[in-house]
Amino acid sequence: MIVKIDNVSKSYNKHSVIKAISLDIEKGERVVILGPSGCGKTTLLRIVAGFIHPDQGKVIIDGNVVADNGKCIIEPENRQVGMVFQDLALWPHMSNYKNLEFGLKAKKIPKVEKRKRIDKIFEKVQMTQFKNVYPGELSGGQQQRIALARALVMQPKILLMDEPLSSLDADLSLTLRKEILRLQGELAITLIYVTHDREEAFSLATKIVVIESGRVKKIGTAKEISNYLSRSSNDGC
Amino acid sequence: MAKRFTLYITILLLVGIGLAPVVSMFIKSLFVDGEFSLQNYETLFQSDREWRLLFNSLALAGATTLITVLLGVPLGTLFAKTDLPLKRFFTILFVIPLLIPSYILAIAWFYCLGRSGIVAMIFGVDVGILTSNLLFGFAGTLFVMVSALLPVVIILTITYLRMVNPSLEEAAMLYGPWTTVLRKITIPLITPGIALASLIVFILTLGEFGVPSSLRFDVYPVESFTQFSAFYNFNTATAAAIPLGLITLVILIIERFFLRKKTFIFRTMGSEKKMLVVPLGKTKPFFLVAVSILVFIVVAVPLCILLHKSVSISAYTEAFIRSIGSIMRSLVYASIGATCLVVFGFFLGYILERKAIRLSYAADSIAIFLFALPGSVIGIGLSSLWNTPETNFIYASMCIIIFGYIAQYTALGERIMAATFSHVPHSMEEAAQIVGTGWFRRLSGILVPLAKRGMFATWFIGFIFCLRDIGITMMVYPPAHDTLPVRIFTLMANSPEDVISALCVIMIMITLLPLGGLGLVNKYVRGSSYGYVKR
Repeated sequence: MIVKIDNVSKSYNKHSVIKAISLDIEKGERVVILGPSGCGKTTLLRIVAGFIHPDQGKVIIDGNVVADNGKCIIEPENRQVGMVFQDLALWPHMSNYKNLEFGLKAKKIPKVEKRKRIDKIFEKVQMTQFKNVYPGELSGGQQQRIALARALVMQPKILLMDEPLSSLDADLSLTLRKEILRLQGELAITLIYVTHDREEAFSLATKIVVIESGRVKKIGTAKEISNYLSRSSNDGC
Repeated sequence: MAKRFTLYITILLLVGIGLAPVVSMFIKSLFVDGEFSLQNYETLFQSDREWRLLFNSLALAGATTLITVLLGVPLGTLFAKTDLPLKRFFTILFVIPLLIPSYILAIAWFYCLGRSGIVAMIFGVDVGILTSNLLFGFAGTLFVMVSALLPVVIILTITYLRMVNPSLEEAAMLYGPWTTVLRKITIPLITPGIALASLIVFILTLGEFGVPSSLRFDVYPVESFTQFSAFYNFNTATAAAIPLGLITLVILIIERFFLRKKTFIFRTMGSEKKMLVVPLGKTKPFFLVAVSILVFIVVAVPLCILLHKSVSISAYTEAFIRSIGSIMRSLVYASIGATCLVVFGFFLGYILERKAIRLSYAADSIAIFLFALPGSVIGIGLSSLWNTPETNFIYASMCIIIFGYIAQYTALGERIMAATFSHVPHSMEEAAQIVGTGWFRRLSGILVPLAKRGMFATWFIGFIFCLRDIGITMMVYPPAHDTLPVRIFTLMANSPEDVISALCVIMIMITLLPLGGLGLVNKYVRGSSYGYVKR
């Protein structure tokens, strides 16, 4: 098991956002956290990343307790997770190459190795020709690929994605979903993906976690969740 | 850990440099000959003169606030919402008096309306006596304070008008003409901005030392200074400073509890929908003439008088000979002060905007309180804390002036940087954190480059405020450390008018120079203008 979320809760000003959620994620799984806006799915993802500390419960990544009952044991920079943000958060003052290089420099990766890794990942996301271009000069889909490349170049154990395709049109979203699946397969990385889009969830996930009002409602495969959701809507839920 | 350490150290330094002197001053005022006593306050409040000073201070602050609001809100509305010709040019002209030390305006008006001023020369001695009597006293002080602080109301009115959602006005335009829309919708919507402007003008007038002192109108800051510098009566000076501190505190508490909650933003700055413009139509020439007359009286007349008085090479040569040291010191101290303000502003702005630590609200309150305190109060506080044999190496050096600048003006940097950080998404920093970078690398690699425009703006604005400062510097400057504003102030009484005018013009020029720098920053420095969410 690569990620264990154990009875995690989080409140803001007495308003409970996450209510005693437990979840186990195996290595190489593609887990999609599905739920409506404001249900707590992004909060849960940010708890795994380490940007939010849970009030109660434990988060364990690759056997290490990273957060425990309100205490941050391991800071985000040392959790070996990669993340693609909803707004992508590409640094606008750096070229695409520098965006990828920034984290590697901090980790003091040797120059040759650094260049090799960056070139390889640019190839993988098919953006080699845009290496020295600034993010602001790219289209939405291209920016998406650079954000993905920046997360992957660090060779994280887990890749977190927070509704990264939400602002793209349907065709582009479909193309990028295929890209994400291809890359995840090639790199055999564990993926935790947050979305409110059922279609996106069904096409990406090996496991779907349905969250409502801060609680896990159902965990299952795409087929199981599809049936569950159709039953729920038939029941008028 | 490193992040928290940096942020807490910044707060600790602000408390040590700014708040500790004020607290120390207050505590010392409660002791007489080593014994706890309220004697200083009893003496102070039993004196009719002190009550008159309090009345004068409050009357001047109240009247200045009222008149600047009555003039500034219509002017701000004209410049922001109408098709008035040359409105940008007028806005710049109106802002000039705010940038230069306000007592320079008083000097200019003295050369115009004094007993041997230009008016007396033209219309005769009797008229000169009349205008001089008007100038030296409440009316003259009020007039100069209004012309110096009018820009505060104009700028805030323009800023708040730009934040009004145009749809709200469009909706109202279906039911009435523009005049009704302005009266019933637009102006009520910017009430928080007008209230904030009133508060700032009131506080700045209450703490003003230069103008009342030049025009011999007795108010509390002048009393504190006189007791402190002329009579060396530290206890009375301190006790006289406390009422100002208390009034400031009460006003800030009112602002914190009432005004802040009512400050709402209707749309973010720079959003796509453009502000609606009111066509002035046939009234355009009338407004153009009215604004031109006002700008002529408030800005052009005093500046022209100083230029006219100083128009000789010998005056400028004499001015430079007498004050070259002070000019250089002013530039150096203001540069160091501005750099410190960038550092403090950066971290405190970060704390305020990101709510990075629990003390964010307290840190902001301290910075705002110190900004609102009269410079003379901070000056006495600094002397109270640092004037000891052990700390004389600080008290007798330029450090004490820099401490004063940090104490008084940190809030400016804090607010500019907080506004800058509000344009930098949290995810920018988080993205750097998750790829494994530590706090200092995130600072140098992400936050500083993205916030550099705000940092440059803080530096230039901080430079202007440090350069024009007189309230603090006058109180604490060590021997041979006087700055140009202090030099002019001390030379005023016994130097030729042309030399003083030349010094004032030099002061104005070196204060206005950074404006060019600000313009260059706007043009060339990228930063908050990056397209963060361009997808």
